[in-house]
Amino acid sequence: MSIVNPAARILPSSSRLRIEIGVIAAIAAVVLIVLPVLNMQGVVSNFTINLWGKYLSFALLAISVDLLWGATGLLSLGQALFFSLGGYMHGMYLMRMIGDLGQYKKPIPDFLVFLGWTELPSFWKPFDSFAFAIAMVILVPGLLAFVFGYLAFRSRIKGVYFSILTQALTYAASIMFFRNNLLLGGNNGFTDFKFILGYNLLEPATQRGLYIVTGVVLLLTYIFCRWLRSTKFGLVQRAIRDGENRVLFSGYAAANYKLFVFVVAAIIASVGGALYTPQVGIINPSAMTTDKSLEAVVWVAVGGRGTLLGPILGAIGVNWLKSWATRAYPDQWLIFLGGLFIIVVLFLPGGIVSLPKRMAALFGFHGTKREKTTAAEPETETATATAIETAASIETTKG
Amino acid sequence: MILRILHSTLPLIFFALAASAPAQTARETIASAALEGSVAKKRQLLDSLAGKGDPAIAGLFDAWRQDQLFIATAEDGAAVAVQLTGEPDADEKLNAISIATGEPLLDASGQPARFARSELKPVEHNALLRRSMKGVLDLVDLSSEDPDRRLKAVQTIGYSQDASKLPPLEKRLSVENNGRVRNALLEGIALIQLKDPSDETRLHALDTLRELATLGSFDSIRNARAEAETAGKAELAAAAEKAMRAVNTHRATVNLFGTMFRGLSLGSILLVVALGLAITFGLMGVINMAHGEMIAVGAYATYVTQCFFGSGVTLPFFGRSLPIPGMNLEGWGYNAYFVCALPVSFLAAALVGIGLERGIIRFLYRRPLESLLATWGVSLVLQQIFRLMFGANNVQVSSPSYLSGNWTINDIIFGWNRVFVILFAIMIVFGVWLALNRTPLGLLIRSVMQNRTMAACMGVRIERVNMLTFGLGSGLAGLAGAFLSQIGNVGPSLGQSYIVDSFMVVVVGGVGNIAGTVISAFGIGGVDQILQQYLPDWAPGLAGFPMIGSFLQNLAQDSAVFGKILVLVFIILFLQWRPAGIFVTRSRNLEG
Repeated sequence: MSIVNPAARILPSSSRLRIEIGVIAAIAAVVLIVLPVLNMQGVVSNFTINLWGKYLSFALLAISVDLLWGATGLLSLGQALFFSLGGYMHGMYLMRMIGDLGQYKKPIPDFLVFLGWTELPSFWKPFDSFAFAIAMVILVPGLLAFVFGYLAFRSRIKGVYFSILTQALTYAASIMFFRNNLLLGGNNGFTDFKFILGYNLLEPATQRGLYIVTGVVLLLTYIFCRWLRSTKFGLVQRAIRDGENRVLFSGYAAANYKLFVFVVAAIIASVGGALYTPQVGIINPSAMTTDKSLEAVVWVAVGGRGTLLGPILGAIGVNWLKSWATRAYPDQWLIFLGGLFIIVVLFLPGGIVSLPKRMAALFGFHGTKREKTTAAEPETETATATAIETAASIETTKG
Repeated sequence: MILRILHSTLPLIFFALAASAPAQTARETIASAALEGSVAKKRQLLDSLAGKGDPAIAGLFDAWRQDQLFIATAEDGAAVAVQLTGEPDADEKLNAISIATGEPLLDASGQPARFARSELKPVEHNALLRRSMKGVLDLVDLSSEDPDRRLKAVQTIGYSQDASKLPPLEKRLSVENNGRVRNALLEGIALIQLKDPSDETRLHALDTLRELATLGSFDSIRNARAEAETAGKAELAAAAEKAMRAVNTHRATVNLFGTMFRGLSLGSILLVVALGLAITFGLMGVINMAHGEMIAVGAYATYVTQCFFGSGVTLPFFGRSLPIPGMNLEGWGYNAYFVCALPVSFLAAALVGIGLERGIIRFLYRRPLESLLATWGVSLVLQQIFRLMFGANNVQVSSPSYLSGNWTINDIIFGWNRVFVILFAIMIVFGVWLALNRTPLGLLIRSVMQNRTMAACMGVRIERVNMLTFGLGSGLAGLAGAFLSQIGNVGPSLGQSYIVDSFMVVVVGGVGNIAGTVISAFGIGGVDQILQQYLPDWAPGLAGFPMIGSFLQNLAQDSAVFGKILVLVFIILFLQWRPAGIFVTRSRNLEG
């Protein structure tokens, strides 16, 4: 079985797994218990809790990118679209909960009053129900991902073509959401939320609750993905990444596997968006750009592609850095982010998660054998590359 | 019939009256009107100016209405109408110019006389006089030397449908020899006649309008039809209906050709923008997300060149200001900047591209997805560098005179810059074809792209070829930037607005194929413009969709945006049918 062996290399050995579980448990304990308790004591400010809530929902987005890019080799630039779709669906419920407390004191959202509507458009009506909104958070991005993925994978669009098409999809959706005619708030989007399930969103306790919910959802998603990886499904998934043609020739319907992963990732991103909106208090089409998708890819790349833990650390780490740097160095921040990205891609393909191992290799604890990165390329390509290197060296010696 | 005859004789009578007045220049007439005591006579004199094309009239009337006309006493004791102009000196005195002659008024010593406003009796004006003056002014341009001004005047008069303006228009028609103005006169007369009480005249006017079928007359014809319908005049309503149909047919033709032209020009823009990408992505397989920034480099290079030819500029260069000297050229010398900007922008972008290839991309040839990520990082860095170098706002790139302007042929507008882009696209595609197929470098490029390993074995220095190919692709992007600077804004995020489109063009065209890029660029441009033009017409049909009908209809109002989205949907469906684009490069390589 040629598929199993290379894949087995990537599976964490039991000791590594034990370390990872330890790290996750420690982080979960700090994030879910220590921080909220300290917040209640007044040691940790409400602002910090709110900020961390944002980081955690970004971590969900990062996991969705990792599921696609890290584990299946599909670089989707549409994850920000699914993220903000979730935000929008939940946002519609939150907008309804404002009631007549808006600027215009009308029972419909302000921007509709502004556009000259006197009563609610029909598609807004069911969003009075929280359950319906949550169902939409899952259904709308899931359905979109299903249709788009079905078309894309059926015609075997892969690699960079898939990236380019998802980029175009995001672009098309964002220009649509920027229009007022869509009746979803135009370029201002939704903001000024007041209540969620009857709780006041401005209360620190509500924010703390949302923060804990986000943390729990993140933990559950992590466990789900970890479990998915250990199944046969996860194995095929990684086999698709490393050699799709071989998987096809072995009789697996690779397109179905990819479609499933794409839909699941879209839903995870969407849930992240739904949790992001009430904590940040605004959702608008600028969250829907390709740049945001790529930013999420940076988190994953910095954290460590295909490692599940890495993306979470990357999302939190890079965003923490961003919060600090945008205040301290507003002009240089983008250069720094871009530079970080170039450096990670060029010199640290395994991300920060691979740092301990690299250090170890550097100091010779485990010999000097070069670690094969998790982002392994198909062997055929490696062979071609070797051939070229040889050819080039022949040429140099000749010259 | 009697009315018709009366109508045609009226201008003759008018003409005879005007001719019987003593032959005076416009200035003399105004001067005597200013000196005249009775308002009725003043008006008569002023009205006699109607239809005279003397350019002095407008200025003098303005001066009159702004209380700059005064009555002075000349050497010989006679009253002279003067205009006080120039800067007042210490005694508040100004130069006095005789209205009748246009020369300065001389005092006893033969020196130009100077008066203060308070010394003289001002020439009064009231509402009646001002109305007379306005009536004359409306007609001044009618006799202007410049056909464009005449045209504009005729149109203004015609669309106002003022019956009192009919005689001068008819008078002008009898002497007009410029075809465009003649047509406008006919249209204007017909439009005024639509208000005529006689059915026959109106019928005749509608007939004329049907023959002329001008876009501007539509609303007036529709009003005429509505009036005819309320009055129950079936014949008139039918004639109006016919005229409206004629206008609509004409409008449809104009829209069709206009859409074709715009589609062609958008296609050319897409082609110019995507051609560089067709080389870097299509031939080399590098996903250059910084392609848009290469375009921006070209556009900024054009801006700097323009400033160098003009009066120079000081750039906010990373917080320190960097002055760029200017040659202060004017006229043709300044306009020539664009010709120089083309090679400059090509070289600037090519150099940045080569730097990028040497520094980053050459490590990633076998990792296309990673090259996408790294070049996105580069694009972020470059955008921020633009912001720090040139400021966050858009910079002003002016079009040289030979690129600003347009031809209007039969109501279809052809902008010169758009025509130029089409020609340029043709030239550049031909140039690229020559470079790839007729030069030694082109041969090397093609060999490396076909089979890297084999080319290397044959002694091709693939590193060098890669570098030059990437430089060529980036340089083409720079050229595109020079052209986009003539069409849109130049700012740090210029490239972002084109990157998605250019990738689409290359993907649809089929990777590694210039001919496919050309076809797909024009196809996407054409479809986009067709949708943009005709979607609003189709919008009512969308209401039939189950569930989301009204929603779609609502969206279709934003035809530009909805059109773009539909184009994308079409592209995705097209890729179902031809996953590798229009032209497929056949290869035995499974992974390739």
